[in-house]
Amino acid sequence: MNCHDPLYRTVPPHALARRWFVRDCGIGLGAIALADLMGRQASASAPADPLAPRPAHFPAKAKHVIVLFMAGAPSQLELFDNKPQLAKFDGTLPPPELLEGYRAAFINPSSKLLGPKFKFARHGASGAELSELLPELAKVVDDIAIVRSLHTDAFNHAPAQILMNTGNMVFGRPSMGAWALYGLGSEAKDLPGFVVFSSGKKGPSGGNACWGSGFLPTVYQGVQFRSGGDPVLYLSNPEGIDPGLQRRSLDAINQINRLHFEAKRDQEIETRINAFEMAFRMQTAAPELMDLTGETAETLAMYGAEPGKASFANNCLLARRLVERGVRFVQLYHEAWDQHGNLVADLKKNCQDTDRASAALLADLKQRGLLDETLVIWGGEFGRTPMVQGGNDGRDHHPNAFTMWLAGGGIKPGLTVGETDELGFNATVDRYHVRDLHATILHLLGLDHQRLSYRFQGLDMRLTGVEPAFLMDKILA
Amino acid sequence: MQTTNCILAGIHAEGRFLRIAKLSTCASLGRWLTWAAVFGGGWWGSGTAAAQAERPVDFQRDVRPLLSEYCFACHGPDEATREADLRLDVAAAAYEDRGGQAAVVPGNPDESLLIERIEADDPDLRMPPPASAKDLTDEQRNVLRRWIAGGGAFEQHWAFRAPERPPLPAAASDPWVRNPIDAFVLDRLRKQGMAPSPRAAPRTLLRRLSLDLIGLPPEPETMASALASSDEEEAYRASLDHLLGSVHFGERWGRWWLDAARYADSDGFEKDKPRQVWFYRDWVIDALNRDLPYNEFVVQQIAGDLLDGAGQRERVATGFLRNSMQNEEGGVDPEQFRMEAMYDRMDAIGKAVLGLTIQCSQCHSHKYDPLQHREYYALFAYLNNCHESFATVYTAEEQAQREQVLAEIKQIEDQIKQERSDWSAQLEQWVQRERGRRAADWQSLRLAFDDNSIGGQKMLRQADGSYLCQSYAPTLFAPWGVAISPLDQISAVRLEMLTDPNLPHGGPGRSTDGTAALTEFKLQVAPADQPDAWRDVEWALATADGNPPEQELAAQYDDRSGRRRVTGPIGFAIDGDDTTAWGTDLGPGRRNVPRHAVFQLAEPLTGASGSRLRVTLVQRHGGWNSDDNMTNSIGRFRVSVTDRANAVADPIPASTRALFEIPAEQRTEEQTAALFTAWRTTVPDLKEKNRLIEQAWQRHPAGHSQLVVQERHVVRPTYRLERGDFLKPAEQVQPGVPSFLHPLPHDAGTNRLAFAQWLVDARSPTTARAVVNRIWQAYFGRGIVDTPDDFGLQGSPPTHPELLDWLAVELMEHGWSLKHIHRLIAESATYQQSSVGSPEQLAEDPDNRWLARGPRVRVDAEIVRDVALSASGLLNPEVGGPSVYPPAPAFLFEPPVSYGPKTWKHQSDAESYRRAIYTFRFRSVPYPMLQTFDGPTGEVACVRRPQSNTPLQALVTLNEPLFVECARSLARITCLQAGADPGARLQFAFERCLNRPPSAEEQRVLLSLIADEEQRFAAQPDAAWKLLNVPEVQRPELPAELTPANLAAWTVAARVILNLDEMITKE
Repeated sequence: MNCHDPLYRTVPPHALARRWFVRDCGIGLGAIALADLMGRQASASAPADPLAPRPAHFPAKAKHVIVLFMAGAPSQLELFDNKPQLAKFDGTLPPPELLEGYRAAFINPSSKLLGPKFKFARHGASGAELSELLPELAKVVDDIAIVRSLHTDAFNHAPAQILMNTGNMVFGRPSMGAWALYGLGSEAKDLPGFVVFSSGKKGPSGGNACWGSGFLPTVYQGVQFRSGGDPVLYLSNPEGIDPGLQRRSLDAINQINRLHFEAKRDQEIETRINAFEMAFRMQTAAPELMDLTGETAETLAMYGAEPGKASFANNCLLARRLVERGVRFVQLYHEAWDQHGNLVADLKKNCQDTDRASAALLADLKQRGLLDETLVIWGGEFGRTPMVQGGNDGRDHHPNAFTMWLAGGGIKPGLTVGETDELGFNATVDRYHVRDLHATILHLLGLDHQRLSYRFQGLDMRLTGVEPAFLMDKILA
Repeated sequence: MQTTNCILAGIHAEGRFLRIAKLSTCASLGRWLTWAAVFGGGWWGSGTAAAQAERPVDFQRDVRPLLSEYCFACHGPDEATREADLRLDVAAAAYEDRGGQAAVVPGNPDESLLIERIEADDPDLRMPPPASAKDLTDEQRNVLRRWIAGGGAFEQHWAFRAPERPPLPAAASDPWVRNPIDAFVLDRLRKQGMAPSPRAAPRTLLRRLSLDLIGLPPEPETMASALASSDEEEAYRASLDHLLGSVHFGERWGRWWLDAARYADSDGFEKDKPRQVWFYRDWVIDALNRDLPYNEFVVQQIAGDLLDGAGQRERVATGFLRNSMQNEEGGVDPEQFRMEAMYDRMDAIGKAVLGLTIQCSQCHSHKYDPLQHREYYALFAYLNNCHESFATVYTAEEQAQREQVLAEIKQIEDQIKQERSDWSAQLEQWVQRERGRRAADWQSLRLAFDDNSIGGQKMLRQADGSYLCQSYAPTLFAPWGVAISPLDQISAVRLEMLTDPNLPHGGPGRSTDGTAALTEFKLQVAPADQPDAWRDVEWALATADGNPPEQELAAQYDDRSGRRRVTGPIGFAIDGDDTTAWGTDLGPGRRNVPRHAVFQLAEPLTGASGSRLRVTLVQRHGGWNSDDNMTNSIGRFRVSVTDRANAVADPIPASTRALFEIPAEQRTEEQTAALFTAWRTTVPDLKEKNRLIEQAWQRHPAGHSQLVVQERHVVRPTYRLERGDFLKPAEQVQPGVPSFLHPLPHDAGTNRLAFAQWLVDARSPTTARAVVNRIWQAYFGRGIVDTPDDFGLQGSPPTHPELLDWLAVELMEHGWSLKHIHRLIAESATYQQSSVGSPEQLAEDPDNRWLARGPRVRVDAEIVRDVALSASGLLNPEVGGPSVYPPAPAFLFEPPVSYGPKTWKHQSDAESYRRAIYTFRFRSVPYPMLQTFDGPTGEVACVRRPQSNTPLQALVTLNEPLFVECARSLARITCLQAGADPGARLQFAFERCLNRPPSAEEQRVLLSLIADEEQRFAAQPDAAWKLLNVPEVQRPELPAELTPANLAAWTVAARVILNLDEMITKE
């Protein structure tokens, strides 16, 4: 086992100081240091619950994270990053020096510039500029921090979504939610600590790997909930088994398992008994979570949610309910933003589908006093080109500049940071890489991104990787 | 002083920044310190310290791990991040005189800069630098001091020395010892002051052995007969023989290898399209069943295609390399993701074969192991010369049928030869006649494709002027490109559809059959001085070398329009009807050949020089779902023009026409046969014979596709890539092997086969060790080396180094027989121990590192399912074949859960009950039950599965429909076969599930549950029928003594038994 792992920080030291350790056990001092750093899964010696809440590295600003993942990559140029110059140069070719070494997914990079399709106006006390497509966000704009200067390394959807979630565009790394659970455990007793919903036209391009646990123990992976039907797979009892019979069956299972534990003395049996008990509690807790009929009419209207309907709005409301129940990390995927064409009509529809609920989530969290402890993040995996694709109504994938907004726990509200050049092609001022975002998320959770590591293949792996990562301190409260 | 300064100077401002950035990957050392302090108080502070101090410092055990952990990141193999030009991983460098001082002065710690710096109080001097968050403890410093005092000798890392057979320890003569494994284990236990556990009970042992070897519990009858034997040992040996010979052995251990081979049935990434690779899966099962020597097992997977006499089997084996994921989302650069696949192959070979983390050196020299960045690309170069190919493969039955068809055709051709004794002369006349006919001169067009019309597909121009279509494959599109006319007059346009190894079945299309359909072929022209004044060109005539009969599109191309869409002869490509298309498919056996068509202009273009030609390839014969394999588009094509009048398609294949130039006496038999085949189709008298041959072709089997690699004729150069970025090639690199591993033989070639043979050279330090370690891990839950993918400097040291080496040598000296290793382990007393730990053992060695007891481990995901199927009598034991689709929630395969709509074609109960190794594996949507029990997704090679124990697992075994069905089935067979006595029934069910009778207490719990539930169900029979899953209209007559309530109550009990911890645990 790995006694230096934050997992086992709660285990009393005397339980770790085993006799083999002090003997001539064939493994030298250096080797012991190494062996104990090895990332290992809970073993017989570590019955400690790997999901038990654990203290952070330093006091946290946020206890929960909700990521509104706008998969497919929304156009920052139509929503947040107002570029009058781009309108002026509409229909002309971009300056060649801008395109040096630039690769685009679909278009020839030397395609004509496309002016913004929607009007912008300033809102709130902060005077933040927002597109006319986001009237509801405009009402809460003083609660959010807009960052217009993100950039990333990937410009195809799947690798970029994997990068946005795991810090690396190669599959096999843990997602940020898995890292958060690994670092902090979960306070949700009867629900998974990392929950994922999906709405929109498609599933995320990165598939399950977007919320996978990579090389971390599988208990940290996100659990996908469904908006309708059984929220969790196999949650319902089989036909003919009512809750009473399920309980009596569990009692029998547990009794026999306990007899077996007494004979075999293997802690894994105890863990299994606990797992069956939590499964039983989840059978009640998850449907109760999903049942929106108890929400007031005002709340439902505020989100645009309808009980029993699968929608982004419902998912936003469910995210609030999850946070109320102690769930650490919630991701709502809404894959609908890949506007190679049909930019105007699709953006209108997407904003209709998401603007109200996103804003309502902030307002609702705030009115319940939860926003202070909940970090909310809105954004996609990359941005879109200032150049046109397909006539005059589409934009290609663009990694050099895109916008996200953050709000809640630890975020300074009511400001806009970061700038792009006058065509919106490159982030120029306060440039932030995806790993800076990751460092910031962990920081707000009370975790030092350099210290939150897991030994895998001889290296102490981190969400932020080996390149330097910097906190986005301009938006920290 | 100069040198000191130099080392100091390593911490100039920028250097420090870099160091912090790199070192911080090892930040968890900070936590280690906390614990070290705790231990330090009770351990070194007490009397033990003195005893400890006398123990000589061992470099391997005590010193190198410290150097590796604390020093090598900046003073190790990676020259790019090396500070102060000092490396401490090589003796000569550490001893080097650095202007009066050296880092290590043998015998003299006080003179050694290393000691000076690690003991420095000044934070600017101290090593490791405080900012690295790493610090040595006093005792660690003392170890380094004592090491230098004792001579400061360096030794080669244990795992980089080839294993040698160690002598057996004295414990070998102990009566407990059954084979040398036990001698090493007992020796270790004695040093720990521990003793082995007694042998496990025969029942436990047979169940353990069966789960380990075939992944299924013993059949109750097998268990009964083994227990009936008077000679317990003999019965165990007989079971072992039986299981090692079982066809299911290859399934259990095949899955073990498939983890490392990152096997899955889909491409991964966004589209995650299904792929056909199950022939590879079956090859693995078969190879392990026939105990293909491990060295050959590896060679065939890396380079089977290059072996002498390589057949289908050897080519299929190279599917190992092709198990990499493939990204075909719109707009991707195929070369970028080919490189990702190459990195993945290197990673898989590193983990699965070498047990080394070589992928670190993809971007830079390894930080810890002596693998240089350049050496990584030298290894890479061996693999870099492949086509990403698709073989057409046949099952044994299909192969037989194919041979029969070919024999039939040959027979008819022989008949022709018999009947026409002068065939040879006639053939020759024909050759001379055809040869004299001047073919048209064709000038290929260089086309600039419109970005929007190609729909994200990449058209890669080839040296021969053709375009290879890669990346995303649209299903309904009309790509167009513009060329400048190379001729002044244009009379006809030729479209060639060409084959290519990188297309399904070799093409020429991108459909799963390698076929394509051309809906319309269009040409427009614009004068040079009016580039946008497009004018449509009319066709007079179209001819093709292949004109299949009209046939309706197959279901996989359904576009949901409801229209009847057909393919057929070439005329369909110029009829202006978008429901008809020219097809290339002449049926199995002959569909994957080049085809071409010639389109004559109604009016030749004159004065065309410099005009713009716009060619449109309308392809609207694919299906509706472009995220699945519904494409039917062209894979490689070339467009050419001629000024020759009346040009028509050449009915003779280009490859045959090329043979005309070879004089008759120099032709090979195959060449003559090809000419004969072309000739006979031109002879009017042979119409009937030709018809019979056509008929025979119709019986040719279609076969299947299997991803394989195929060597390129033109060698692709390999470059070292800066930071692993395929856009940043540095110097060119030749194939070669790293200097820290064993050398190549003198006569080694430079191709993949040479590399494969080098991997399994008997001098390889890690190959044999890595595989015996992984086998050991599967039996005992952990390896002798706990990091099966890292035998390098940062890996775990072996708990039993001599045993590891003994097993590695034993493997090689027994012809690399894996079954020999299985047998040795299974026959050892170590393996046969009881797994019940005494409280003392559990306290002393909770993880069972020293093996004073047998393994007790939850079985792998697939076995969790297989055990339930087997115990409940549902298991379908069929081996091999296409992957199957057991029931799964449909919404998983639909947006917005899945990216695109996926096909999950559950067909029958029989396939539901197949072993889990055959379950179709989508990488992006893993089969839920397998994922929940830690089954890997196949995204990367996995040589060690995590083991979790979670509530979601409980929901699966309690509620997943198949597990519930198992409960019903178990109850049914229990009630029908075990009589009416509840005790006998319970005994029957327990034997099936757990291979033991229930204890009195277990009986009490279950019988009381059954009695209660039977009463409840009797009061509500509908609930009983519901649980039994029988709708009202189908309720059967039950045997007299069996009521629905009784059966339902037993179903409840069966479900309880199937959910016990013991059910899914190897004890």
